[in-house]
Amino acid sequence: MAKTIMIVDDSASLRQVVSIALKGAGYDTVEACDGKDALSKLDGRKLHLIISDVNMPNMDGLSFVRAAKQLPAYKFTPVIMLTTEVSDAKKQEGQAAGAKAWVVKPFQPAQMLAAVSKLVLP
Amino acid sequence: MNLDDALHTFIAESLELLQQMEEALLHIEQAPDDPDTINAIFRAAHTIKGSAGLFGLDGIVAFTHVAESVLDLVRAGRLHFTEELAALFLQVCDHIGVLVKRAAEHREPEDSVRQNGTHLLEWLNGLLDDDPARDATAQPPATCPAETTANVERAADTVGTDHWHISLRFGQDLLRNGMDPLAFVRYLATLGRVQHIVTLTDSLPGADDMDPESCYLGFEIAFRSDADKATLEDVFEFVRDDSLIRILPPHSRTAEYQQLIQALPEDDMRLGEILVRCGTLTEAELAEVLRSQAHDVPAAPVGQLLVEQGIVHPPVVEAALKKQQQAKENRQAANNLIRVDAGKLDQLIDLIGELIIAGAGASLVAQRAGNGELMEATALLSRLVEEVRDSALTLRMVQIGSTFNRFQRVVRDVAKELGKDIRLDISGGETELDKTLVEKIGDPLTHLVRNAMDHGIEPAEARLARGKPAQGLLRLNAYHESGSIVIEVADDGGGLNRERILRKAIERSLVAEGAALSDAEILNLIFEPGFSTAEQISNLSGRGVGMDVVKRNIAALRGSIELDSTEGLGTTVRIRLPLTLAIIDGFLVGVGNAAYVVPQDLVVECIELDCEGGHDYLNLRGEVLPFIRLRNLFDIEGAPPRRQNVVIVQFGGLRAGLVVDQLMGEFQTVIKPLGKVFGRIRGIGGFTILGSGEVALILDVAGLIQHLASQRHEAHPHTFLKESL
Amino acid sequence: MTHNPARLLSVAGELTIYTASEWKPRLLAPLLEGEHLELDLGAVQELDTAGLQLLLLAKKEARARGLTLLFCNHSPAALEAIELCGLAGFFGDPVLLSPTGP
Repeated sequence: MAKTIMIVDDSASLRQVVSIALKGAGYDTVEACDGKDALSKLDGRKLHLIISDVNMPNMDGLSFVRAAKQLPAYKFTPVIMLTTEVSDAKKQEGQAAGAKAWVVKPFQPAQMLAAVSKLVLP
Repeated sequence: MNLDDALHTFIAESLELLQQMEEALLHIEQAPDDPDTINAIFRAAHTIKGSAGLFGLDGIVAFTHVAESVLDLVRAGRLHFTEELAALFLQVCDHIGVLVKRAAEHREPEDSVRQNGTHLLEWLNGLLDDDPARDATAQPPATCPAETTANVERAADTVGTDHWHISLRFGQDLLRNGMDPLAFVRYLATLGRVQHIVTLTDSLPGADDMDPESCYLGFEIAFRSDADKATLEDVFEFVRDDSLIRILPPHSRTAEYQQLIQALPEDDMRLGEILVRCGTLTEAELAEVLRSQAHDVPAAPVGQLLVEQGIVHPPVVEAALKKQQQAKENRQAANNLIRVDAGKLDQLIDLIGELIIAGAGASLVAQRAGNGELMEATALLSRLVEEVRDSALTLRMVQIGSTFNRFQRVVRDVAKELGKDIRLDISGGETELDKTLVEKIGDPLTHLVRNAMDHGIEPAEARLARGKPAQGLLRLNAYHESGSIVIEVADDGGGLNRERILRKAIERSLVAEGAALSDAEILNLIFEPGFSTAEQISNLSGRGVGMDVVKRNIAALRGSIELDSTEGLGTTVRIRLPLTLAIIDGFLVGVGNAAYVVPQDLVVECIELDCEGGHDYLNLRGEVLPFIRLRNLFDIEGAPPRRQNVVIVQFGGLRAGLVVDQLMGEFQTVIKPLGKVFGRIRGIGGFTILGSGEVALILDVAGLIQHLASQRHEAHPHTFLKESL
Repeated sequence: MTHNPARLLSVAGELTIYTASEWKPRLLAPLLEGEHLELDLGAVQELDTAGLQLLLLAKKEARARGLTLLFCNHSPAALEAIELCGLAGFFGDPVLLSPTGP
């Protein structure tokens, strides 16, 4: 059974490209357009990884990750945060929220695939 | 879904983001420090940059990166949105827009665009350079101290092994953070071959103290790979901060293994054995390593070494969890929306149109059959179909707000150009109208807005002299009124001078000298072709487009335009449009064997034709009214019936009659466009299919009346066509 | 060394960070009660570091108490993880179950 990865980003095109790359590598994907939407999709389904943007409307990525880590089924789900911010404060806040993996935007699909593969192979 | 589709999504979403950015930029002047607005601007740049990178659009990435950096300074409160900065970013916004459009066309930006980009970058970089805190923040993150990579030539003191040696000790919280060391080992195996791996359980505590969610394992790995050191280090990039990672290239120096053994928490002898077991060191090499270590007395305690080398676990920073930010509920509801291809929607509406026609056909059959039950069933069906049609039509409805908001920019720019201070006030932005209309209303509205700013609103001195505030006010408003949408463009300027208009109209032979015209009639003269005068044409509104063109554009949308003006107080232009273009209430008429549809809202009345002679005008309660015989217009064969009817239609203040054989009643119909071949036939605006399956042509009343007017005008200027206001 | 028959325990589903807290007492209970243990890994669908650690802990605990802990019937998922870490001998070879330290 293919591993399932959730992609949370307010950019539909980013979600599409990442999704195409991941599906091509043999993963399944779920897309969400912001933290709120993503949270509503944490409905008990098995997720092997969450890729989330930080800066999003409705609910930002860090709030989403904190909320997700409160749910038993997603307490230990690895998270890759997408960010362009080099701010250490943001990163520390993210680390405290349980997000250890950061990928800096902009990235190439291959880079994302490599980052994902380090945490979960298809 | 493929990458091309994704690129289209990227283009659409970028243009939307840029529009939001522009709106936010225009808003920022009123509230320069509003964090939500600043964040909206930042996010637009941020998202575009992020997505552009995925498509390899390096030009966009490079440009937005600098813009984003400047915006980051604003977010950090180190730079503030002044008018100049907002103006700069409006240009930045435009430039990104151009870059995105070039990407959409798969074209490289032309030189002028590039020059503009360079110019903007200089400006932006200047802002970055001016930031005093820059040095502290903008430094690239310190790279890991580069250790010597594989020596090509083996020095004397290097070991013989030709594989990498990787030592891993993980932080206890690793598993809780969702990281699985096994995953890293698996990934490592994709980069080369794991020759040997030893799992270390030394730090696994006794059963009582062992927390099953903590990580206690370590690995020693002998690894054969052609990958370079950076690649291997990158495997562990996500755990580097709180784990101990040591990677020794093949043929490292004895001293480096010695350091490794010292750095790792386990007993030296035991580690040495493991290295030998891995095949990293031979027994002899290990002996050498341990011997040279013994020479280095007094050996520093391991802990101190770790600190010196900066590889101890950094203290886990328990950043106080900030209060969870309140979700911003007032964000545009856009996220609850589904983006649908407009083409699909059109197809749906088209199908529903067919359904209406088929339904009408079924009703007709039921009526002919005289089957009561069947008639009841078809009646119910028709009602439901109508409901479906209505709700489908609402799918095409969009709010006019975003169209209105675009004028913030226009007003701002034009006001600066004119040297006037003008505020734009928007209301009724939530009023909905058909998407097609929204797209087509932009140009006429722009013209009206520019016109109002240029000619309507007076210079500040004149305003002050009249006791008005120096700042002019332009108002855009929209509302629904009896099945139409009304859009108002109002200014509080000087209003129109009726005498001057009349004088000008007489000069241009638009009206006869001494003609008695009502106020409204005079005002509406400005919509006449040829009214715009050289005197009026300025840089802005006189781009060869007069008010007559605006009127024609509106008329083409089956709308009307009227004007209200009080001298000294201002002018209001009111545009009235149908809610949708796709479906009209029609009035069905017959000529010979053919059926025609006249848009119901243009029909004034129907009368019987009582003039037998060959005139083509009639006397309607003392009014002379021209008419068109459809029989002649469309060359229909056969003799007319004894009694003919006239449908009086009115459009744009002009009335005319259409002579037909039969009146067949009201009928709701779906407009189907004519193919290109028939597109230019005068008097026909489209067609529809009747319930019986026959085709009926929809008359282009506006075109017919205009045609009639021009004909009459040539023959008998200033007569016949009755202005009916 | 006692000669009591070993207690049989089957591990089913995932033996991972999500279930580690649940499995720790269940795996250790027989050992704490002084019983030999035979662990059937046939139904293990997922085994991660947390799971592997538990098996290692149980092994250490058994050894400390002079009890036998046998792993058998390894599922493909269990085998993959064990082999990945170079622990095949450790978990599969009964010789290693003698209470002498490594």
